[in-house]
Formats: sequence, C-alpha cells, structure tokens
Amino acid sequence: MIGVELRKMLRSHRTWITILLINALPTLVGVLLALTDLGPRPGSGPAFLSAVLSDGTLFPLAAVAIVLPLFLPTAVAVVAGEAIAGEAQAGTLRYVLVRPVGRTRLLVAKLVSVVVFVLLAVLVVAVSAYVLGSFLLGDQPVSASVSGTTLTSEQIAWRTALALGYAVLSMLGVAAIALFLSTVVESPLAAAMGALAVLIGSSLLLTLDAANSLSPFLPTRYWLSFIDLFRDPILWRNVLRGTGLQLLYVAVFLGAAWANFTTKDITD
Amino acid sequence: MALATALAIGTPLALRELPASNTTATATERLAQLHASAAQPYSGYVESLGTLQLPVADELLDLGPLFGERTRMRVWWNDPVLWRVDRLTATGEEDLVQSGGVTTQWAYEGTKVTKTPEADVRLPRISDLLPPELARYLLEDVQPADAATLPAERIAGRSALGLSVAPPDPRSSVDHVDVWIDEETGVPLRLSLFADGSSNSALSSTFLDFSPGASSSDVFDFSAPRESTIERSDVVDVADAANRFAPVRPPRTAAGLPLSRDTELRGVGVYGTGLTRVLAIPLWKDVASPLREQLLATPTVEQLAEGPALSVGPLGILLTHFTESNGGWLIAGTVTQETLADVAVDLQKAQPLPSLFREG
Amino acid sequence: MIRTETLTKRYGSIVAVDEIDLDVRAGDIYGFLGANGSGKTTTVRMLLGLAFPTSGHILVLGQPIPKSKRTVLPMIGALVEGPAAYGRLSGRANLALFDAMDATGVRRSRRSRIEESLDRVGLGGVDSRPVKSYSLGMRQRLGLAQAILRTPRLLILDEPTNGLDPQGIREIRDLLLDLNGQGTTVFLSSHLLAEVEQTCSRVGVLDRGRLVLQDDLATLTAPTGRTSVRTPDVAKACQALQSRVVVAGDDGLLIETDDPAATNAALVAAGVRVLELGPERHTLEEVVLAATQSGADSMARP
Repeated sequence: MIGVELRKMLRSHRTWITILLINALPTLVGVLLALTDLGPRPGSGPAFLSAVLSDGTLFPLAAVAIVLPLFLPTAVAVVAGEAIAGEAQAGTLRYVLVRPVGRTRLLVAKLVSVVVFVLLAVLVVAVSAYVLGSFLLGDQPVSASVSGTTLTSEQIAWRTALALGYAVLSMLGVAAIALFLSTVVESPLAAAMGALAVLIGSSLLLTLDAANSLSPFLPTRYWLSFIDLFRDPILWRNVLRGTGLQLLYVAVFLGAAWANFTTKDITD
Repeated sequence: MALATALAIGTPLALRELPASNTTATATERLAQLHASAAQPYSGYVESLGTLQLPVADELLDLGPLFGERTRMRVWWNDPVLWRVDRLTATGEEDLVQSGGVTTQWAYEGTKVTKTPEADVRLPRISDLLPPELARYLLEDVQPADAATLPAERIAGRSALGLSVAPPDPRSSVDHVDVWIDEETGVPLRLSLFADGSSNSALSSTFLDFSPGASSSDVFDFSAPRESTIERSDVVDVADAANRFAPVRPPRTAAGLPLSRDTELRGVGVYGTGLTRVLAIPLWKDVASPLREQLLATPTVEQLAEGPALSVGPLGILLTHFTESNGGWLIAGTVTQETLADVAVDLQKAQPLPSLFREG
Repeated sequence: MIRTETLTKRYGSIVAVDEIDLDVRAGDIYGFLGANGSGKTTTVRMLLGLAFPTSGHILVLGQPIPKSKRTVLPMIGALVEGPAAYGRLSGRANLALFDAMDATGVRRSRRSRIEESLDRVGLGGVDSRPVKSYSLGMRQRLGLAQAILRTPRLLILDEPTNGLDPQGIREIRDLLLDLNGQGTTVFLSSHLLAEVEQTCSRVGVLDRGRLVLQDDLATLTAPTGRTSVRTPDVAKACQALQSRVVVAGDDGLLIETDDPAATNAALVAAGVRVLELGPERHTLEEVVLAATQSGADSMARP
C-alpha cells in the first residue's frame, strides 16, 4: 500500500506544483540578494541569510530556514489533510477499503507518503538553493560555526545533512495532526485549516510569557533549533527535545487517528 | 493510547516533582555554602527573563535586551578568569570568552571579533545574567539575619536549597531575592529579584541544565575564523571610559552610602553593596544627550530638581545635567527615588580635575 | 454466500436497517430491491465492512464480517453507491493502482487482468485520457471493471446500471448473466423493478429497513392457480363456466382453475370467442407493491 500511495503522490502534478511553489520564495530571496547585495540586519531575517552573501553554498540552510516556518507546514497540512478526507470526498475511500486495504495500513501509508513528500520538498529546496547559491551568491567560503570556531567543509556538509533531516522531522507533528483531522472531518480543506490553526496558535502562544509552562509541548517550539547543530560544540538539548516532541505528536495523533478511523462508519 | 500520552507528558513533569532534599540546613549554613561556591567550576544552559523596559539609546543599547527580554545562554565556567558564555539567538549567537586576561566577544552576524582587556568598571553584560554571577553581585554582604530558608526544589534535575533574602536598608528598592543553591556544590541555580510592591519577579535567571566540574580547555580556545573582522579595543564601554578618562572624582559618600573599595574607582562612583547599590557614571554629551531625550520621551518619567528620573521595577535611573556641557551623571541602582536624588545632590560635590571637564 | 441474522443499524434513534435476515445462496443472482432510503446502501456497506452493525451477525462466504474482512474481501468485487476513481489518472492507471492495493494479486498478470476486465465491460479500446473526462456511463463501466478485476466469487453491486443507456444496460445484464454462468454469485441492489425482474433469480425486498419479502423470483411469479380469459362475450362465458368465475370484467374474466386447456375447450364448446387465454401470474411489481407501504421518500399524511 505504501508503494501505491507513493506512486499516487509522485505521479500527481499537484505534488510537483506545490514543491515548486514552496521553492519559489527562497529562489526569489536568493535572486534579490544576488541583485541587491543587501543582507538582513543582524538579528532579523531567517538564520544564515546574512552569511550567504559571502558564501553561497550556505544558501540551502537559509532556504530551508525560509520555508520552514510557514510554506512547508502549510503544504504539509494540505497534503496530510487531503489524506483520508480527500479520498472520502472523491468516493475512492470505500473502494480502497474493500480492496481490501486495512485501515491501519492505509493510515501508515498516508503518513509515509506525507513524509516522503516533505523529504522531497526539502531536497528540492536545498538542491536548487545550492545551485543558485553557488552561481549567484558569494564565493568566499565561510568556515565559521555559529560560535565562531572553524569547521571543516566535511563537518559543514555533515551538519547540513543533519539539519535538513531535522527540518523533515519537524514536519511530522503537523502531518500527524492534519492526518488525524482528516479522519474526523469531511472536507480536506477543513482538515488542513484545522492543522494550520493549531500551528498558528502554537506560534502565538510561544510569544506569550503567560503560556511559558506550555511551551515545551507546543509543536512549533523547536522548529528553528536546527541552527543549534551549527554551534560549537553542538547544542543537542533542543534538537533532541524537538525530535522527542515530534515523535510524541506522531504517537498521540496517529493513535487518535487510528482509534477514530478504525471504528468509524465510512459513509461518504 | 491515552496512557501513552499521559506517560509521555507526565514523565518529565514527574521527574521535576521528584522529592528534593529534606535537609534541615539553616540559612546561615546555606549562605556560607553559597559564598564558598565562588571557585566551583560548572557548565550548563541558562535562561533568564527580564521584565525591565529600559530607555536605552546608542552606546547603552545592549542593556535593553539584557534586562527586558528572555535570554538563553550556554555557559562553561572553570574559574573567574577562564569562562565562556554564549548568548543564543534564533539566528546566531553572541559569545563572550574570558581567557588569559582578555575578553573576546564574538558576534556571528557580522562575523565580528572584539578583544578587550578586563575593566575595573563596566556596564552589565550577558555573563552577569548567570545565577552565580547575579548572586555574587547582589548577595555579597547578606547577613544571616536577613535570610530565611525556602523549601528545597528540583532545578535542572538537581536538588536545590532555597533562601529568601530581604535587604534591611530602607534605601533599597528591592523587596527580596529568592535564590536556590545546588545542594552538592553550593552554586546558585536559580535567582529571582522582586521589586518593592510587586509579586512578579523583575529579573530571574535559572539553569535548565547544570553539570558541576571543569570543562576541557578547547571550549575556551577561540581563534578568529579567517573571514572575520577583528577589532581590538582598549576601552570596554562607556562606563570604563568614564572611569578612566572623566576629569571628575566622585565624593567618598553619597546619600550616606560609602564608596565601594572593591575596584579601582576613578571617574565612576559605586556606592553601597549588594541589594542597596547605586552607580554614578559621568557621561559625555554625546552619550548623555540621546539618553536624556530617550528618558524625557518615556511616559513614566518624573522631573526632579536634579534631572529626569525613572523607576523601572527595582531599578532607579536619574540623569543630572552638567552646567558646563550637556553631559551629566547617570545615576542608576537598586535604590529608591529619594536616594537617587540624594546621590545627585552629593555628586554636585564631585571634584573636577584640573583639566577642565569641557567639550573639546 | 451471504447470511445475516437480525442485522440492525441504528443512527441515534433512527433505525436504518431493522433486524434483517438475508439469505443469498451460491449461484444466485440476488436482487435486493427497495426504494431510495429504505436501507439498501447501509446494508451493502455493512456487508463490505465499511459500516459496523449496531447488532446482529453477518456471514459472507461463510466467514464473519467485519472480523474476517481481510480474508473475505479479496474474493469479493464491489460497486457501492456509484463508481469512484482518481480523476487525474487514466482508467488503466486507476485499475493498476486498485490492483496493486490488494497484495494478494500476482504482479506479472496485472496487465492482462486489467485488459481483460476492460474488455468485458466494453472499455477495451479506451485511450489514456483522465477519468475526470469520462461520461457517467464510462465511469460506471470502469467501476464494474474494477469490481471484476480479480474474478471474484461474489459481486456486490449497488445500482450498477445507473447512468447507462438501454444498450449499456443490456450489455451489463449480459455480462452479469455471463459471470453468473461461470459461477459468480451476484448481489444486485437496485430500485429498478424491471432490472431485477429481468436479471435476478432471487429477490429480497427492503421496506423502511425491514426485509418484507425474500424468495425465488420463479416462486413469486409462479401461476396463481387461476386462468385469465379475454373475450368480447363475457356474459356467455360466465354462463358456461358458472361458479368457477372469480371476477368478470368488460372484456375478460378470471377463472378458478389450474387447467387452462379444459377451460378453453369448455368456452369454445359454448361458442365463446376467445381472444386470449392463459394462466394468471403476478408481476414482480404487484408482488412488491403488495408487500410494501408507500415509498420511503413520500411524506404524505397518514
């Protein structure tokens, strides 16, 4: 079933159009940076964006930092929200289930397909940013970690791979929430909107000191912690917490999705 | 399912609620342990939260976030002359490394390295936000009679003994300070400062991760990356500059508080100790003027005869006016507004040095 | 093939399916008749494990549903409440996906399976245009192709001729008879009396959630033991047959006899001009109307 879902996802034009749209913003930013040579002021703007003016090969990181807060999660919410509700709306859900495809298996296949989608999106963003960065942006190699120590290019490559992996992982929570909502509501749009509402709420609560005790459990809390991988020594604390938190969200919401979906009458 | 959720969320909370020590150590013993911990090495992760919105401008700009925002720091502290504190931001970091008598400041955004010597007097910097440093500064002279024990707590996974300290001096604007020290090493793990008449802490700082013991020396090695710009400066900040070059000498007492003898003071006056402490820094026109404008633009400012004054939580600020120039004394400290005014009056007795304090 | 015992589905206080005992035997073409809203689709969904019964038991191919879905469903082909497919993909791509979803299929023969079922539903020559550009009839055919992809032992079809023209309906009927001839049991849910009457060997009638009738079509439409006669000489005929006349109309009469030949001889002997004479049979429509109340969608005052 996983294979079928992947084939469906990869064959769909919408998948690729979505990825291209995600990729449009960092590309635009990269081109503008190259044209104007104006970096963001320190402390503002996405991580690494100021560094790419001197070293374009760091642009993949900046590009991921650009899409991570909004574009990527929106796409994930739409794709995952579509998972069950979309099939139900198209009427294909009942035919998939009588094929038969086990309901649990269908849920897992849908989650895997969303994860592959994120992976693909992040890879496309990173690769095109790398190409764009090496041709258009600065060519003085930056060797400094965020902490000012010198990193070898191997270390940089290895940490970049880790950071991209972490970005993919950070989307698991949204995916699980949207997937759960997709088993609850009838319309894929409603499921996507619901998941986005959770994210916007989470981002808002993070800025609120009164919600401080909640913040370790908010899904967006550790999203941008991938920069910690470029500190020296690496600050694992938040990256590990972020990983644990995303896995917790997957466990809870996939569990809830499973509990709801496997006992539900399919009435589309 | 619900069980798994409860476990996942509950376990960390339960660990936090693990019974802390039920020691019966007295306040005196705890204070002694705190003061004895000055040489303890440690490392960890600290989060501080300041609620003080300071009217800062130009040269004093860095102070705003320090006292008015949430600051996340990593620290490696071997001893007072070998340590490193990183201020972590979402997009980079700013590091301070103290090693071999040189303070190296690294700003990732801007790839800028600044090397300065240690100054006798300087403005607050990120390392001052660490609970042990705050405690050292605020609680240096606490008498056991002014301290009460608080129930033990678990902080950064360690059992911590609590103390509540209230300054006996009526001139102080601090209501009390709560501090928790590591039961094993005596290092302060959390400190909260409460202003008079407020139940919320004005400034608090706590370890979220703490490990005692020295760090390996490579953590403190800082060799500037080749693409960075390196700046060497003999003067640390405006306070250091004022202390060394201002052609005035502050009086020996102000508002009845004696001049501190801990550091070599020349142009700058530091009066009082611990929680009743006030600084007087003579500012040149180019620093004083924008600050005065900023102060006057603050809605809660009060116009005293001595100059505009402001209370931000426990912190009182007053800027006097030099008649000779547009400079003035910046008087700031954890004292009441009347005390600030008294200090200002006494500072008029400051002796100008033969070289006249005039703008060139 | 399908047995249910006191199968019941409630939605809150509404009883959609009320204690029905279905009995579909191997080799049947079973017509499941009922008005719209009578509970047919809910029943079909429960048979396929899509909806869960409130109470009662279901056995399909001898195994309990929904417990043994995984082993039973691969042997079933289904068309539920209209066809559905991934609109952006071609018909063949759709069938390939659905075939791949069921892991019990042999991959190598997938292509030939697809082509064969497309041929059988008359879509063998379809090109690679996406399903969303198909007509309703084409979609219906594609849905059927999907149902018969794995040569199932049991076909459960809900309104399979929806959207088809008379020619198409005829083709589908032939296909079902053909499949049935090869040993496939067919469960055909429909609201069209004629369709059921022409195709099915056994009929169940659902009325407001209750199974009011279930029997072989042959039994339901068997001779009633009366003979109907059409004649212009009604009076003369009544005289000839006397007490055996049940009803006499303007141009014919109904006679209590199971021997039409003797009746005919008697009438002719009496000089009655016989236009038409034969054993009386009820139409399915009459049987169904007699068994049911007014349509479930009518909201007339009682």
